[in-house]
Amino acid sequence: MGLASPKILVLGVGNVLLKDEGLGVHLVRRLEASYAFSENVELMDGGTLGLRLLDPISQADHVIVIDAIQKGEAPGTVHRISAEDLSKKVTFKNSIHQLDLVETLAYAEVLGQRPSCIIMGMEPLDIEPWGITLTAPVAANLKQLETLVLEEIQKAGGSWLPRFLEVNQKGEVTDYVFGDSGGDPRDP
Amino acid sequence: MAERIVVDPITRIEGHLRIEVEVANGKVTNAWSSSTLFRGLEIILKGRDPRDAWLFTQRACGVCTYVHGLASIRCVDNAVGVTIPDNARLIRNLLMGAQFLHDHIVHFYHLHALDWVDVVSALKADPVKASKIANDVSPAPKSGPSDFKAVQARLQKFVDSGQLGLFANGYWGHPAYKLPPEVNLIAAAHYLEALRQQARTARMHAIFGAKNPHLQTLVVGGVSCAADLNADRISEFLYLWKETMDFVNNVYIPDLLAIAGFYKDWGSIGGTTNFLCYGEFPQSAKEPESLFFPRGAIFKRNLAKAEAVDPAKITEHVKHSWYEGDGALNPAQGETKPKYTKLDTADRYSWMKAPRYNGEPMEVGPLARVLVAYAKGHEPTKKAVDGVLKQLGIPAEALFSTLGRTAARAVETKIIGEAMEGWIMQLVENLKKGDTKTFEPYQMPESGQGMGLNDVPRGALGHWIEIKGKKIANYQLVVPSTWNLGPRCAANKPGPVEEALIGTPVADPKRPVEILRTVHSFDPCIACGVHVIDPESNQVYKFKVV
Repeated sequence: MGLASPKILVLGVGNVLLKDEGLGVHLVRRLEASYAFSENVELMDGGTLGLRLLDPISQADHVIVIDAIQKGEAPGTVHRISAEDLSKKVTFKNSIHQLDLVETLAYAEVLGQRPSCIIMGMEPLDIEPWGITLTAPVAANLKQLETLVLEEIQKAGGSWLPRFLEVNQKGEVTDYVFGDSGGDPRDP
Repeated sequence: MAERIVVDPITRIEGHLRIEVEVANGKVTNAWSSSTLFRGLEIILKGRDPRDAWLFTQRACGVCTYVHGLASIRCVDNAVGVTIPDNARLIRNLLMGAQFLHDHIVHFYHLHALDWVDVVSALKADPVKASKIANDVSPAPKSGPSDFKAVQARLQKFVDSGQLGLFANGYWGHPAYKLPPEVNLIAAAHYLEALRQQARTARMHAIFGAKNPHLQTLVVGGVSCAADLNADRISEFLYLWKETMDFVNNVYIPDLLAIAGFYKDWGSIGGTTNFLCYGEFPQSAKEPESLFFPRGAIFKRNLAKAEAVDPAKITEHVKHSWYEGDGALNPAQGETKPKYTKLDTADRYSWMKAPRYNGEPMEVGPLARVLVAYAKGHEPTKKAVDGVLKQLGIPAEALFSTLGRTAARAVETKIIGEAMEGWIMQLVENLKKGDTKTFEPYQMPESGQGMGLNDVPRGALGHWIEIKGKKIANYQLVVPSTWNLGPRCAANKPGPVEEALIGTPVADPKRPVEILRTVHSFDPCIACGVHVIDPESNQVYKFKVV
């Protein structure tokens, strides 16, 4: 990749303690474990932070955000929204709580460093506290979301090679702290 | 006739903080603070390895991830009885200091300033006059007439596009805004400057934390970033520290003083009575004696005496909260048995418990830290506070207010920032002597109890753990926002924010910017990480005048 390659940030956001709310982080971990990306692609577990993500966001040319998206459709339904569509509908609210992602994009714009951005994700089934695994319909469609995200990365000018994976008997990646399927007996 | 105003930010999933006030004759006469978000993180920790607890607790909150990680690690350090090496203590302090620098800059400019600064009025300012005023108060860069003109043009573009974006839906033109257009313009320009600066300050965490967000380098018994204790990484940290401190000294503090000068009446609005500080930044293995910010409690605004803190005197009440029963327990024996009824301000109205110290509600956070340090004669604090009081021409009593709380946050940013330089140098000295130790081995006991008392940007944060069979048997957190924003207790004493709101003037119940000023001054953070996008929603904030 030459210097002119656009810088792509794949940003998984959400809270991994709230079941499907953390699907963006689950997907980023899955991508990290499964593929070696070209140098212009950065994967990031953004957690639930808002303004702290301004630095990486404003340094990217293109951001692919992965998050839980509620549109009232069947759980596991994959969505793709352009950030432009989203920010038209959300306005500053003198928020009592921390700034969120849409506001962070607006901040990047105020600084004149707003990257192009799309948001991809799935309809969650359950985001109530607490649980560190995805629900069945969301876990079942994670692979589908992964394929679509990879297409987006390619469209934006990124590439990858598959990694050798260490997997368990069920064929699942076992390499990270919070597994994205398989359940946990201690999980309430 | 009293009116009731409900300030209830309806977020995408659950409301977080809901403030209900009663207003009569233009002033708040009663207030109720409700958290409508259920926190019960304790439940997911039971049965896990105590060494993993911090990885969970740091994900509990969307903002203060490091502090919940550190509080948990300290709590488990305490339970296993390990004394961490000097270098580990210094690294932990530096990461905590970086958290303060970042949080407070963001709070002042991006979460609080627009309660005081009218962005739309800035468009009417004369850039030449603004430049003159700015240059009179500080040597901050980018303060020429053309700089301010450029900021105005940028703001104008947002207004003209009909998309104020971040600045839409403010109470622009409200009579409670008192700054002249030129000061509004300077503040708006620094709002943008602060955006750039905070992005850089946030990088400090990644240097010794391996990544940001969600640092990875804490371990029970020390830190794991041994490989980063080299000249390159330390000077990188030092460079970002210096840049941040230039901003604090040349922009943040002068702005605070300039804005406060127009709002001196807020030196008698929004105060509370009692203050608690666990203390922070251990300077040696001896706690609480060596804490840079001392541990102490102040009752009835008595600055002549800061009492010693006895953790056994902490209780959490649930009489007005959605939990079973109406008892009060010490967190070490704490229970979390949720039982939602309905929101009834006369009965139960919050998911937060009501923490009390010696039976009293206690304000925690920057003001509590600064007052306790001031009362104990902490030199850097005394000097800084006296300087601010003198410059503003206000008495020490004015500290017990919304203005005092906001000023204390700025003052401690400078004090902590300056102390950080010493910690960096100590680290360098240790390394020069060949002391590179960052971890002390320990044995996980079959059973035990631990407590971690911390003072984090938003205030006193305690984690308590009980270990049985080398696993977590019980885990309790008492977080700063619970102290500040909790409901009434069994004795029906209002919580600090409820008390602070009483007497607050409200010029227009339909646009209660004055209420936001006091609530925001506590830097409320109870969002704790819910982050689902609802593309159809644009209604996120609503007032009901009942």
